[in-house]
Amino acid sequence: MAYTPQFYPGSTSVGINRRKHMSGNLEKLRDIPEADVVAIMGHRAPGADYSSTHPPLKEMGEPDCPIRQIVAPTAGAAAGDRVRYSQWTDSMYFAPSIPYWRSYWGAINCKGCDPGTLSGRQIIEARERDIEAYTKAQYDSEMTDVALCSMRGCTVHGHSLRLEENGMQFDMLARTEMGKDGNVYGVKDQVGIPLDKKVNLGKPMSEAEAKKRTTIFRVDGVQMCGTVGARKYDEAVEALHHMWELRSKWGYRPE
Amino acid sequence: MAVKHTKKLFVKALEKKFATEVKTIGSKDAKLEGQTTSYLRLGPEQNARKREFMEAAAKLSGKRGMTGYNPYVHAGGIPLGQRQLVPYKLSGTEYVVEGDDLHFVNNPAMQQMWDDVRRTIVVGLDMAHEVLQKRLGKEVTPETINNYLEILNHAMPGAAVVQEHMVETHPALVDDCNVRVFTGDDALADEIDDQYLINIDKMFPAEQAEALKAAIGKTSWQAIHVPTIVVRSCDGGTTSRWSAMQLCMTFIDAYNMCAGEAAVADLAYAAKHAAVLQMSEMLPARRARGPNNPGGLSFGFLADMVQTSRVAAADPVKVSLNVVAAGAMLYDQIWLGSYMSGGVGFTQYATAAYTNDVLDDFCYYGADFAADKFGGFAKAPALLDTAKELATEVNAYGMEQYEAFPTLLEDHFGGSQRASVLAAASAITAAIATGHSQVGLAGWYLSMLLHKEGWGRLGFFGYDLQDQCGPTNVFSYQSDEGNPLELRGANYPNYAMNVGHQGEYAGISSAAHAGRMDAFAINPLIKVTFANPGLVFDWADVRACFGKGGAREFRAAGDRSLVMPAV
Repeated sequence: MAYTPQFYPGSTSVGINRRKHMSGNLEKLRDIPEADVVAIMGHRAPGADYSSTHPPLKEMGEPDCPIRQIVAPTAGAAAGDRVRYSQWTDSMYFAPSIPYWRSYWGAINCKGCDPGTLSGRQIIEARERDIEAYTKAQYDSEMTDVALCSMRGCTVHGHSLRLEENGMQFDMLARTEMGKDGNVYGVKDQVGIPLDKKVNLGKPMSEAEAKKRTTIFRVDGVQMCGTVGARKYDEAVEALHHMWELRSKWGYRPE
Repeated sequence: MAVKHTKKLFVKALEKKFATEVKTIGSKDAKLEGQTTSYLRLGPEQNARKREFMEAAAKLSGKRGMTGYNPYVHAGGIPLGQRQLVPYKLSGTEYVVEGDDLHFVNNPAMQQMWDDVRRTIVVGLDMAHEVLQKRLGKEVTPETINNYLEILNHAMPGAAVVQEHMVETHPALVDDCNVRVFTGDDALADEIDDQYLINIDKMFPAEQAEALKAAIGKTSWQAIHVPTIVVRSCDGGTTSRWSAMQLCMTFIDAYNMCAGEAAVADLAYAAKHAAVLQMSEMLPARRARGPNNPGGLSFGFLADMVQTSRVAAADPVKVSLNVVAAGAMLYDQIWLGSYMSGGVGFTQYATAAYTNDVLDDFCYYGADFAADKFGGFAKAPALLDTAKELATEVNAYGMEQYEAFPTLLEDHFGGSQRASVLAAASAITAAIATGHSQVGLAGWYLSMLLHKEGWGRLGFFGYDLQDQCGPTNVFSYQSDEGNPLELRGANYPNYAMNVGHQGEYAGISSAAHAGRMDAFAINPLIKVTFANPGLVFDWADVRACFGKGGAREFRAAGDRSLVMPAV
């Protein structure tokens, strides 16, 4: 019988959505042109050649290595691309994804990447053409809402701040803006350099849709522990208690 | 289910912090629970302290002949203040100061707190007295001790006692220097001149005094505080050398010794090594710091330095949180933030633990919950199950408050801040409830994991190691990590990297003993030494003292203006 990864416990929408993010079985909601994704990433001009840090692997005469025989290089590694990044900031007000789940998605589904997880941002580094593909996949999928999530290379401040009155996540550098037509536009790249032209990222999710697709537990959404005086633990908490207890006991080794 | 405390102590602070926003936006509907707001992007001019900085920089630019502070170079021309720059209320006090006032460079009370640690050394008197009596056959009596202490309080600030034509320090520059003695021997204490005695009976509640005197026994000790200006010019490693030299010279004078006789070497050895208690251990070469520097300061020692336990023993939360404040400032802002790293970011993170009554609220909730459940403090069984129940409850309460009050979430805008506050509240609760610091520590790590599970985020990259792997070191017997929490310190293997931990660990150490109403956490000598009324910093009310510093009401020692031209 083929093994089916379980990924995550729980029968709530948060548990289900977390499993979807980890499995990579995500719904595609939009199709941002590749050139626009590249422009927002800000590492190379759309259409420009990729910078490389070494010749293509086929030209390098690689050593006889069993690992190299088993693992096919990614397109970016094969071409010798430099390593670049994309970094996301996801609002705590029901953004679809959250930092650890972007990392789990990357670590499970994306070859040759290096995810890093903080509270206010989540970065994935990879060879340039690989990270471009991974970034587009995130932009287009239900992992991302264009009002509650944005790409921020620096000055990422915003995930925990109240939303703007138009529902946009606060961004000190105002890299995205709400258009009069109800679409969200990217106007600066990841590090805040103005784009040559605005990028139409489409309409944001409604509050109800964001709550349906979110992976965050909250008392005003799907609760993890109930509320004061009315505790009810999600299955995830039970699993975590078990893991914490074993981890604590494992450290007690008087031998 | 036991639920007693839902006072939401932080609301008052939030109302003060966001009052300007409500006034500026002019919305009658503006409230702390709202999930949206208008960001007015008023820049640094909205804030009094930033305006002061800009004015000062403008005056200095001509004098300096080069550019300096200019907030408009920030982020390619977008300055601080795109959101409201809110003030900070020192928890448990009425002080409200600007965030900038809590950077130790701008806060003389914070500087003095650290100065008071590194300028302190505890030196036993008994070994020296044995040398005098047994080796030299001299008589040591209360009268000779009082005479010695009079000479010592002349010499220790930097004055000559047996030599001619010596330079000396100006008494008004070193007036914070003093030496007092303490002992568990009531008969000896009665004979010591009051001005030179730390009177344990007077400074501590009766039960604590008895416990301290029993622990100290018949031994006698000198609480030595060398001049602040000395350690600011040199460092903490100087303290034992400075004090030892003055101690030896004083013995020579007081007991009419030969300055060159071999017995002086015994006195020097006692003063520098054999009878010395440094405030902190020397660090390994890769961190390159001598003794009496913050990296070697154990959490238990810091818990004992803070004196809230002798003035508010019935309030273990208050006791613990004053230790947290001291540690957040010293370990995060000064040690990790400056000695080890540099810059300004650590202050922003550290303040979450001692401002706006947030950690207070979470801890009082936990302490009330535990007291209801287990019938008082230090009554709960010291088990993992206790840590599990209490940490899960307190962590859930705290997360709920952040979710119900978006302004609170915005106040602790970094995940590291929230992680530290939630974990500290969980751990302090578990420690107070059980009287056991290791159970508290277990609660800390469970909180971290629950927090990460709920919100899918925690702190900096380093939290992955320190906090997600941390449960394994709680009960570890491994040689380099097996200490009880009180004996761990800033240089403990997994603790030497992240802001928002070490001060809280000191608070957990304190909480266990505060819950038990112990007289001290780990060392009675430290506890009594920092009860010295001659200290400049108020170790009984750490947070208020920080507030005074921020409000520019605190006068630190070590001022050089006496010997410089007026500005």
